[in-house]
Amino acid sequence: MNIEYLDPEKAKFGRTEGGFLNLRIGRKKPCPRVNLYRSYPLSRPDELISVRDSKDVEIAIIASLHDFDHDTILLIEEELNRRYFTPSIQKLISLKEEFGYTYWDADTDSGFCRFTVKGGENNVILLSENMLLIIDVDGNRFEFPDFQKCDSKSTKIIDSML
Amino acid sequence: MNHNSPLPATIHESVNQSGELVEISIMTDLSKDGEYRDLWLVASSSAVHIYDDNGSPYDTYSYDQMSDLKIENMISTGVLTATVGDNDELICRFSNTKAKEFGHFLKIVKRLMDEEEVKESDLEVADFNPQCPKCGLRYPDPKREVCPKCVDKRSLFARLLKYLLRYKYAIIIILICIIVSSFLKLLTPYLGGRILFDEVLHAEGKYYGRLIEVVMLMLGTRLLSIFFDIIYGRINAKLTAKVFFNLKTDIYTNLQHLSFGFFTKKQTGGLMTRVNWDAMQLQFLFIDGVPFFIANIFNVLGIIIVMFILNWKLGLIVLAPTPIIIFISKGLLSKIWSLLSRRFRKRRFLNSLVNDALTGMRVVKAFGKESEEIGRFRPANTGLFTANMRFTRFENTIFPSMFFIMRLGGLLVWALGGWAVVRGTVSFGMLMSFVGYIMLIYEPLQFMTMIADWGSNAMNAAQRIFEIIDTVPDVAERENPKQMPAIKGKIEVERVVFSYEPNKPVLHDVTFTIDEGEMVGLVGHTGAGKSTITNLITRLYDVDDGEIRIDGVNISDIAVGDLRSQIGIVLQDTYLFNGTIAENIAYAKPGATPAAVVGAAKTANAHGFIIKLPDGYDTILGKKGKELSGGEKQRIAIARAILLSPRILVFDEATSSVDTQTEQQIQEAIGKLVEGKTTIAIAHRLSTLRRADKLVVLHEGRIEEMGTHDELIRAKGKYHGMVKKEREALRVIAVGDE
Repeated sequence: MNIEYLDPEKAKFGRTEGGFLNLRIGRKKPCPRVNLYRSYPLSRPDELISVRDSKDVEIAIIASLHDFDHDTILLIEEELNRRYFTPSIQKLISLKEEFGYTYWDADTDSGFCRFTVKGGENNVILLSENMLLIIDVDGNRFEFPDFQKCDSKSTKIIDSML
Repeated sequence: MNHNSPLPATIHESVNQSGELVEISIMTDLSKDGEYRDLWLVASSSAVHIYDDNGSPYDTYSYDQMSDLKIENMISTGVLTATVGDNDELICRFSNTKAKEFGHFLKIVKRLMDEEEVKESDLEVADFNPQCPKCGLRYPDPKREVCPKCVDKRSLFARLLKYLLRYKYAIIIILICIIVSSFLKLLTPYLGGRILFDEVLHAEGKYYGRLIEVVMLMLGTRLLSIFFDIIYGRINAKLTAKVFFNLKTDIYTNLQHLSFGFFTKKQTGGLMTRVNWDAMQLQFLFIDGVPFFIANIFNVLGIIIVMFILNWKLGLIVLAPTPIIIFISKGLLSKIWSLLSRRFRKRRFLNSLVNDALTGMRVVKAFGKESEEIGRFRPANTGLFTANMRFTRFENTIFPSMFFIMRLGGLLVWALGGWAVVRGTVSFGMLMSFVGYIMLIYEPLQFMTMIADWGSNAMNAAQRIFEIIDTVPDVAERENPKQMPAIKGKIEVERVVFSYEPNKPVLHDVTFTIDEGEMVGLVGHTGAGKSTITNLITRLYDVDDGEIRIDGVNISDIAVGDLRSQIGIVLQDTYLFNGTIAENIAYAKPGATPAAVVGAAKTANAHGFIIKLPDGYDTILGKKGKELSGGEKQRIAIARAILLSPRILVFDEATSSVDTQTEQQIQEAIGKLVEGKTTIAIAHRLSTLRRADKLVVLHEGRIEEMGTHDELIRAKGKYHGMVKKEREALRVIAVGDE
């Protein structure tokens, strides 16, 4: 297979002043800014992460995030979280359905959020037994772990959207 | 997510104090570290200032220090970045909700940076995330006139009724039938109890011994009641069919008028299924729901009144268990509902799986994946089986229990009523009548608990249907469009900007002119924006900025009918409708004579293969008909365009899927077609564009080069490179063939 993996020993990620990531591989010319893309954002978020330069050329692929040291992992995760920003719903405050649209008020790990989801078009996706992915009318994404634990009325609404 | 709100006064003041003027401001909903937080970006003539929600300054980026201000799209957010010194700098983040608004903000700030004038009219833009003024929730779809939360549900019902009220007489007859039939049903227990036992079988009864007459009377009322039920059922079936025929016609008519963008957004396939499904929901409501509801109201009210007239104490006993029944039914209903929806989901999943495998049978066979497909089928099938079983099991446990509770009510009447009979306060016949009424009353009561949910589902369906009927096309005709029955064919594309999604422009500032009768080739890699240009010229979409003119008139001012009837399109994927070859060729010009169709096919080099078909021009195409090859389809599409003989022709990669010989035939056909007509051609094979008067080379939505084939070859630019690459590729293919 012609995949070029990033060598965790040689690769050195750093944070730029502007708030982005840079990368130095061994003695090669450092790359002033790199962007990270997940190959499997849903099923394998920590594996096969594409590292691309600002011209969108792939530099290498990270085989597994866990091959790196703790600080680097934090750095990479921070960058990935920015691209794949998906607040996790911690508490569903209210969920109402009105004619095919659902209106959500929720506390997420990024703070309180109110959003609207259109029903009937695959906007609520069951990722696993206890994880939902929700995409609102603007394309914002939310995770909803333990969604079965909400009240029966909300469960019914969610059920009807799956 | 957050509301649009004007710049807080504190921030306005603090900008003013620094001696600068606010040109434009915007609120973002996301901080740099990904917290939902309101931050303000204020652009003056010299810098962008960022303030937090308390009005204290947070950051400043002066225009002198930064360059290349742009928006980078993340998955569900956007990032405003600029190059400061040598570094990329993250200025702020925003959620997708704010994406359009930020696109506009960026445009204005760039003008400020370039010291261009910003006019008042540039700042005026439509509300990006309008909120419903009534409830404050945002409109999910800004094009919809009413927020779904605030839509008047009664008016929705009234609108549905309007479809019904066209058939007033039928409805009156139905109502009469329902009333008479419920009245007759009320009689039966009275005749079978009170009259039979107290008056006929009892020695002191008024009609003692006249058994046959009473039994005949009972039989008569039954028969009459059934007769009215049949009449009502038959009229109702016809009525509903008519009503839904009208409703579906309205839906389909409006669908045809909607803009192209609507269909790409909505997944056309699913659309019709949903419309049909929704219409079916409504149909159920009207066939079974509404009449049943009315009949039940009459039944329940009638029974209650009769019972209380006969003996109010026994009436109370009969009604005693009803609160329990209503309460339990409501609780069970939600459980049944969730089980049912689970079963529905599983079935849909299984169906789509089977459908998928059957449609893709060729691939399945080719890769020998039959056993894997069976393997995929099994768990889905098991899932459906389990869901089915759970539902049935639940159903079979719960309904007998319900019946038992109802029987309890009956037992209560037997016990207390029996006691009263023994004491002589109630006659035996009366008791029997009441037992009959119990049987009649519980069923409608149970139904009433269901009607609320049923009704709300049907109203949802109605809402979605009216949503389609009410959708206003994005690409709308002006009120007084310019009639242009004879277009000459000069096309001017000026500074056109277009994006399908916010902040992802597909065309930037594209300008070129095609003179009358000229042929222009659009060249570029996939995604360069070639097809988008043709979509805009045919006005499947409207431009975001700039304009397109035909004969000097902006195309958005031209009557859509005039525009479309004079532009002929031969697309990459030719679609042939179910119907004969002749019908397909004459699609754009239905009145064409058979001779004209043959003539067009001859010019398109299609005549030769058509007459060799057993059914010639009568050959039926489409799903159940004859399958044509790619090249044959294209020649039919060309014939279609030739027959229409439009002033402007658009070819989109018309010869991409055929062999060289066929391509030559097609090229020849195109050659005859384009003579004297303004033509825009897109082709992957550059050789096919050699005869073009001008080539426009596109790269990532911008014009890279323009000129004739020879000029561009001499210039040794992008086009030269593409031609060279193509030749090399052809050489490789040629070697491979040997």
